[in-house]
Amino acid sequence: MHPSLRCCSARAHTPLIKFIGKRTWPSSPDARHAHPAAPAEFKQHFSDFLKKMESSKTEAASKPSSNADTYDHFWEAPGRFWKPRVRQLSEAEMDAIMSGGASSY
Amino acid sequence: MLGRVAQRNLTRVGKCRSSAIRGLATAAEPYDVVVIGGGPGGYVAAIKAAQLGLRTACVEKRGALGGTCLNVGCIPSKAMLNNSHLYHQAKHDFEHRGIDVSGVALNLPKMLKAKQDSVTGLTKGVEFLFKQNKVDYIKGSASFVSNTRLSITPISESESSSEIEAKNIIIATGSEVAPFPGGAIEIDEKQIVSSTGALELQEVPKKMVVIGGGIIGLEMGSVWSRLGAEVTVVEFLGAIGGVGIDEEVSKQFQRTLTKQGIKFKLNTKVLSAEKKDGKVFLEAEPAKGGKAESLEADVVLVAVGRRPYTDGLNLEAAGIEKDEKGRVVIDDQFTTSQKNIRCIGDVTFGPMLAHKAEEEGIAAVEFIKSGHGHVNYNAIPSVVYTHPEVAWVGKTEQDLKKDGVKYKIGKFMFSANSRAKTNLDTDGFVKFLTEAETDRILGVHIMGPNAGEMIAEGVLAMEYGASAEDVARTTHAHPTLSEAFKEAAMAAYSKPIHM
Repeated sequence: MHPSLRCCSARAHTPLIKFIGKRTWPSSPDARHAHPAAPAEFKQHFSDFLKKMESSKTEAASKPSSNADTYDHFWEAPGRFWKPRVRQLSEAEMDAIMSGGASSY
Repeated sequence: MLGRVAQRNLTRVGKCRSSAIRGLATAAEPYDVVVIGGGPGGYVAAIKAAQLGLRTACVEKRGALGGTCLNVGCIPSKAMLNNSHLYHQAKHDFEHRGIDVSGVALNLPKMLKAKQDSVTGLTKGVEFLFKQNKVDYIKGSASFVSNTRLSITPISESESSSEIEAKNIIIATGSEVAPFPGGAIEIDEKQIVSSTGALELQEVPKKMVVIGGGIIGLEMGSVWSRLGAEVTVVEFLGAIGGVGIDEEVSKQFQRTLTKQGIKFKLNTKVLSAEKKDGKVFLEAEPAKGGKAESLEADVVLVAVGRRPYTDGLNLEAAGIEKDEKGRVVIDDQFTTSQKNIRCIGDVTFGPMLAHKAEEEGIAAVEFIKSGHGHVNYNAIPSVVYTHPEVAWVGKTEQDLKKDGVKYKIGKFMFSANSRAKTNLDTDGFVKFLTEAETDRILGVHIMGPNAGEMIAEGVLAMEYGASAEDVARTTHAHPTLSEAFKEAAMAAYSKPIHM
């Protein structure tokens, strides 16, 4: 095998494109900035927009701390309160319970 | 009865606020993501959300997925562009290539049906993808009740309205045809048409006037010109091609379309239109003022742009801010003034392009899931699907001059490319703009055969921050049109071989 001609050339070209390895997201979310295509006047007043957004009541994506006992939305409460196991019961199980087991026979 | 027991268990969350109580009455778990709008931005966002494990629904009121692009925009226009090009070639070009054909005739109803078949196939395909990815497809209109609740009015009259709850909502309602400024011209979709009506004309007009020399106007003007109409494009500005086109490309493009028989009236302002005796009479004057003239047409296409579409959303109920142009205001993570509501595509900032909306849809969902997403607004391509095609990405020469950037130009003509010559299709060129100091690619502009496909290489190069030399030292197959791309890169950092 012969080495690449590039190795033999007078000036080895170093490509700007480099393999940077497998991507991993940083552990913390990205900081918010003005949208790059937003008009200039909006970019200037982005902090006002950010304040308004931060003060909006719902943050459904965030999870409440384990000590929280007040929730804006029912789905923020632990699942056992609003997604109880009994919901998973089949019709047959319900019939069995309601009939004292008679429907099983 | 057991169901009622379950409900009682729910009420144990005694400290929930009023909105939660309403939620407790909801039998179903809220969606993780509800996307309003099933266009290229919306449906892609919905599928991506489902792929990331989020419980997802997409609300669409058209009755078919795909939005403007698939139903009345990019897709049907490409069907008409392709088929009208083939017809034109068969009629006017084949004999130069040694192919004798006779009896070539246009069957417009069949051409329109072929267009519709491609639309139907693709929209049904998206519906299948929804099923495959377990996205709930809700056929109806959505309206905000609060920032987490949507009222749904179904398309079907036999169904009743309902409400759904969502932790995250993505607005992807797209855009609509902008009316003629001042309301002086009313679109009837028969004689005075928008791009939608221009795809449905039942006969080839003898004379067609296109108001607006942007992408849509030039594409639709090309279709009907190839099919036999005498087309005149009236443009308020001094150049064609729309926002972002390089001036040199625009001038060459106009010359080429003029050779094909399309007439242009630049720097001309249309004042009014009057329908009379089956014709439309337009009154126009020079943009800077002067003597008015009258233009006669069988069909007038109004292609003066599009505007964001938010009708019926009741954004006020959710506290969502819009700007003076009607665009939903967002940050760089597509978040609106409400933290749990994001917005993508034509209805917000940035160019109104389907592929831009798609990228934003994916990024918005990734932000919801992980707090990270990526759209590079410096590397979004634009394409005009005429023949030759025109495509570009990044900065124009005019942008660079304005920004005071020192730049180099590398150009290569298709007339010097072997494949273009064998194809007898040599109009156009590839033009690289690079930073003088670093050789980094700042813009790529192409006019020529298959430019819309070729620009992908330029976009990739820009996304990766490549230099012209990087592209020039990459092997391109021979004989291909892409060698013109490589040679233009060579011209930018050194010299091309074949010119």
